[in-house]
Amino acid sequence: MKEFNELAFKDGLRYSNDHEWVSEKGTTLKVGVSDYAQDQMGDIVYVELPEVGATFEKGDEFGTLESVKAVSELYLPISGEVVAVNEDLGDAPELINRDCYANWIIEIKPADMSELEDLLSVDAYRELLKG
Amino acid sequence: MNTTKKTVLHGWHAENGANMALFGNYDMPLWYKTGAKAEHLAVIQAAGIFDTSHMAAVSVHGAGARALLQRCLSKDIDTCIGKEKTPLADGRCAYGVFLHADGTVIDDAIVYQLQPESFMVVVNAGMGGEIAAHLQKNIGENSASVEDLTDRVGKMDIQGPESARVLTKILRDPAAVFDRMVYFSFKGGFDGLQTSPPVELVDGTPLLLSRTGYTGEFGFELFVSIDKLAALWSMVLGAGRDEGVLACGLAARDSLRAGAVLPLSHQDIGPWPFLQNPWPFALPWNDDNVAFSKDFIGGSALLQSTWSKHTLPFAGYDPRKIGAGGGSFVTSESGERLGTILTCTTDMAIGRVAGAIVSMAPNSDFQAKGLCCGFVLLDKKCSPGEQVILTDGKRKIKVEIRSDVRPNRTARSPIGKMLA
Repeated sequence: MKEFNELAFKDGLRYSNDHEWVSEKGTTLKVGVSDYAQDQMGDIVYVELPEVGATFEKGDEFGTLESVKAVSELYLPISGEVVAVNEDLGDAPELINRDCYANWIIEIKPADMSELEDLLSVDAYRELLKG
Repeated sequence: MNTTKKTVLHGWHAENGANMALFGNYDMPLWYKTGAKAEHLAVIQAAGIFDTSHMAAVSVHGAGARALLQRCLSKDIDTCIGKEKTPLADGRCAYGVFLHADGTVIDDAIVYQLQPESFMVVVNAGMGGEIAAHLQKNIGENSASVEDLTDRVGKMDIQGPESARVLTKILRDPAAVFDRMVYFSFKGGFDGLQTSPPVELVDGTPLLLSRTGYTGEFGFELFVSIDKLAALWSMVLGAGRDEGVLACGLAARDSLRAGAVLPLSHQDIGPWPFLQNPWPFALPWNDDNVAFSKDFIGGSALLQSTWSKHTLPFAGYDPRKIGAGGGSFVTSESGERLGTILTCTTDMAIGRVAGAIVSMAPNSDFQAKGLCCGFVLLDKKCSPGEQVILTDGKRKIKVEIRSDVRPNRTARSPIGKMLA
């Protein structure tokens, strides 16, 4: 398990308490999981993705990540419509372990950008993990 | 009071970035920085080492030791060796289960015959006290002494096709040690648990080397005095650097054993009768399969049992899993509820080609994505090839009932072939 000082964080993202991230700017936003999440899960062996066009409310389960250890639900940190899914993860789910910030999971058109304000800044997320 | 226990290798696990979790009340590594997939594949293609010093051992000595074990263990140790069904002998070991009188499982075990009146019984983490008490309680007329050796035995495993080659570098006179060392045999000893001749490391450390394991692959379990374990661990890891030996955690151990159709005690076998499961070889069935060759604790309960459930191995069609336990269950394809999931994990070394399961066994170019596999406990018998649905109430995964899961396993391969 990574020590706190080994964890990677990325600026320009908002984080949820469930360890998902959302990009902060743009008309569509990318969604992924944090370094802490992928490290906790271990090797990811399968990613279950939603259909493009599906709409979700904030907090809805939109997919699952399967690691060698367990099945983890993915919760959408912000309401919106899925405009793209990262097809590369179908053949290579381990990309999330390799670089969880470059390898986003879905891209959404947000229903309400102000919901981003409810999420954690990178500094607040760091503080959350520091405990 | 339950306090978390640590093995003597705990410091090494922490220093090497292990993701730790509680198992049998021990804080144990799930995987290291390499990740569980690489560790699983190392055992299939090279070798992996496991800290198994959380497991417990019990010694049984005396003129009545053999009779006591014969009374308590499910395996008939008078007829357990080979096709000729010869008795357990010095340097040979046998797998069986200890049952309550009602035929339910206390624990599974490997019994090692050190000498005609001296045995070592290896059981699961935290079970040394209970098995020792169970043996003690059933001594009866037998003249035997039973001792719980929990936390006094250093144990690690090396598993995988390169295992013997790696040990060649650290054993004194490896050719003699490996000579006629068949599956489920052992040599050497430590701390007074001794069969002859002794086996030593190049530095003179005595060890008991056993051709057994919990992965379905070729390999060994190594027993040393507890204070020698950390040095042995580093020595094996260093010797195996060129062969690609990796330290492996419990996640890889679990996925390897599930693919090899081996049970996890207290999960796949437990407080229900030890019947209608993939391990009938642990029971002393006569050739007619209606009676037992010996009387043992739990035996008559099993013969009279009306137990109607079946424990069956399964494999899926991709790596997806459904978590065992909790609210998960098994249904037929039409939705009829059939039973529960005991184990569900992903064997990372296998995949499907035109429906058939293929392994990344040595020398194979096949790149597997992994298949989920494990055991279900069903209210009715299903035959290999039948499909059932695993579900947690939300997600559904179709799996196939199997008689076996990972092909081309090496556990029984002749040692000469593995060294060639």
